[in-house]
Amino acid sequence: MDKLQRRREYHIVVLGAGGVGKSCLTAQFVQNVWIESYDPTIEDSYRKQIEVDGRQCILEILDTAGTEQFTAMRELYMKSGQGFLLVFSITSLTSLTELHELRDQIVRIKDDPLVPLVIVGNKSDLEEDRAVSRSRAFQVSQSWNAPYYETSARARRNVDESFVDLCKQIIRKDMATRQVREMEKLDRGDRHRPGRGGRKRKKKFLDGGNSRCNIL
Amino acid sequence: MAEIDSLLQTVMFTIYGNQYESREEHLLLTMFQSVLTYQFDNTPDYSSLLRANTPVSRMMTTYTRRGPGQSYLKVVLQDKINPVIELKDVDLEINPLKVYANMIEREEEDPGSVSDSLPRGVTAEEAAENPRVQEIIAPRLMKLIELANSFLEKIIQGLDETPYGIRWICKQIRSLSKRKYPDANDQTVCTLIGGFFFLRFINPAIVTPRSYMLIDGQPAENPRRTLTYIAKMLQNLANKPSYAKEPYMLKLQPFIHQNKERVNKFMLDLCEVQDFYESLEMDNYVALSKKDLELSITLNEVYATHALLEKHSAALGKDDDSHLNVILQELGPAPAQLLRKENRAINLPLFSKWEHAIDDLTAALDITQEEVYFMEAKATFVQILRSLPPNSSVGRRPLRLDRVAEAAATLKNDAVMVRKGIRSMELLSQLQELRVVDKSDGFSLLRDEVESELIHLGSLKEKVLEETKKLEEVFRTIRDHNSYLVGQLETYKSYLHNVRSQSEGKSRGKQKVQALGPYKFTHQQLEKEGVIQRSNVPENRRANIFFNFNSPLPGTFVISLHYKGRNRGLLELDLKLDDLLEMQKDNTEALDLEYVQFNVTKVLALLNKRFARKKGW
Repeated sequence: MDKLQRRREYHIVVLGAGGVGKSCLTAQFVQNVWIESYDPTIEDSYRKQIEVDGRQCILEILDTAGTEQFTAMRELYMKSGQGFLLVFSITSLTSLTELHELRDQIVRIKDDPLVPLVIVGNKSDLEEDRAVSRSRAFQVSQSWNAPYYETSARARRNVDESFVDLCKQIIRKDMATRQVREMEKLDRGDRHRPGRGGRKRKKKFLDGGNSRCNIL
Repeated sequence: MAEIDSLLQTVMFTIYGNQYESREEHLLLTMFQSVLTYQFDNTPDYSSLLRANTPVSRMMTTYTRRGPGQSYLKVVLQDKINPVIELKDVDLEINPLKVYANMIEREEEDPGSVSDSLPRGVTAEEAAENPRVQEIIAPRLMKLIELANSFLEKIIQGLDETPYGIRWICKQIRSLSKRKYPDANDQTVCTLIGGFFFLRFINPAIVTPRSYMLIDGQPAENPRRTLTYIAKMLQNLANKPSYAKEPYMLKLQPFIHQNKERVNKFMLDLCEVQDFYESLEMDNYVALSKKDLELSITLNEVYATHALLEKHSAALGKDDDSHLNVILQELGPAPAQLLRKENRAINLPLFSKWEHAIDDLTAALDITQEEVYFMEAKATFVQILRSLPPNSSVGRRPLRLDRVAEAAATLKNDAVMVRKGIRSMELLSQLQELRVVDKSDGFSLLRDEVESELIHLGSLKEKVLEETKKLEEVFRTIRDHNSYLVGQLETYKSYLHNVRSQSEGKSRGKQKVQALGPYKFTHQQLEKEGVIQRSNVPENRRANIFFNFNSPLPGTFVISLHYKGRNRGLLELDLKLDDLLEMQKDNTEALDLEYVQFNVTKVLALLNKRFARKKGW
């Protein structure tokens, strides 16, 4: 049991429209580098070991193509992913609206409205070109019951935070499902909704203002 | 986006739905030109150009799914993808961490197999340095490079098969990026072309071949990963790869080095296609002269387009008297969408309410004035240069456009050329005012395009001649084949009739089948008709030889060879029509009668002529 826990592996998928900075964000998180060049992604994969809440876990991160011509690959990603980073650019409103379709598809495929998910508004360093207001993003965040982070891959702002948040959600979900399974084994009558607790807490801090969600 | 999708669907597959008609294709492409120009004008820097999912990229997706694009992908990629799909058990993973994790997995399954246990939780660098990992990866790299090379080879060879529209879009990207970013070097231009050609056309089909109907089922995990690697490698060729993302991809760098140059050349070659404005102008007139232009379209498509026009009418027709506004006002509000079962296709006759020729290209095509001047200037210069005598001094490269215009304008005894010369001078100065071209650099932007256009036109004639020759050949072959098929058909017809009359004979029982013949033919006669294709009979005896043709039963023939003065034939041959037909089908030409050789086809013809059973023939 102990051994298994130590090497737990989680699958994270980074999704979002083309050119919003998914790869830059991922590369910053995994490798601490800033990518300058024009290099559209088809599919990149990374492994990274991090410690979350005192537990070692290996993240298997899939950085996906934002180019719409590759949408046929999404379904497979969504099936294999356990947590999703939905990235848009604060300089493009359509990039945010495109996330709706993605989120709907995830919920449908996972058959779970509370699938671990983080909304990321990237390019926060380009404040002068902002096209998506914070309140607008928060609305989306609240209606999906998922945390919102404003990041800058260029300035390495909020990058780790958004990934770690997602990680915690996955771990909680993972543990809750295990617990539920255990409990179901012991007592088939009493049932808890998995993952509920974690979500509630998050909603609380969202209601309490944007204090932790944005580092400005 | 949903609005755009349905509009694009209507425009590309209904209004301009004839995917192989040049006029519709060309009109559709001018639409591309407007949206591409808009995109270039509204994107701050080229690194974000064509990246986001916009109406343009939607158009590209939809466009590449038209007939020509799809059949091109089939021709070029299918044969390459299928063998990869077969490699279900071939793992070509080269990410050291994954390879390492795989090794650990196997070790856990079978702990006894390895002596020194692998340390856990290694970094990517440590994994990459592990000799066993390296040993596994090395041959995989070779295999990947080999595969990617074979894909690339096929794509480059397919240059001429690449659909015109796709190439023309590449050309637009090139000329727009040169205009917008005069300092852009070939590499930058190629990156942008690659952002369309590879990223949005070729690679999606490689990575998800099923959604392009190139394969039937979902590929298994290994082939899927291999195809993804191939697409990544091709994309890396088009863009400068930043190995910062996945350092292990660096190992595939030899592939980039080997091919970078020729891929860039290929992408520039893609752009070498002729413009179509002239022919479009022609087409417009031709279209006006067509009387019964019709469009098959569903009611809902009409209503949806109407609603969209209504919604955006303010932005579309600033002028109240514009044709669009007049029509919209007359029509009133757009009807609501019908239920699926009420929706149906109608044939919409097309005509111009205003009944005059479209001479204002700007209004017709919705492109900017600048664009029109530029295109007209280019076309005019090309016409002038082609009309000038080939050794004329102004034709030397680099072209000096002002001199060319002047030479044409001052030409004696040629009013047309003079008009063109004057017009081209006007255009040059207008373009200069609009700051599209600059005299100080010799109008280089326009000059380069004119020069490259001339090169095309030069080779165009040869190409057409060559094409004609090829087509003639094809025509001949088709004709030969046709006459062969007609012959076959005739024979089968007679055979069928024979069979029918035979079976009729059987079913009616009473009806007597009458034996036909014998018909007598002399050696000379048959030789003349070509039935005898070879004869071993000595010349002086030939006059004494004759043949009898009998048909005791329909479909059965007896041919006998006789020598004058003898009662019995020298030789008798029983023939079934079926056998003869079979021989003909197998291309067996000769029917051996020992002394002579008959030509099968000719025999069949003869039998048909002679023994045509009266009934039903």
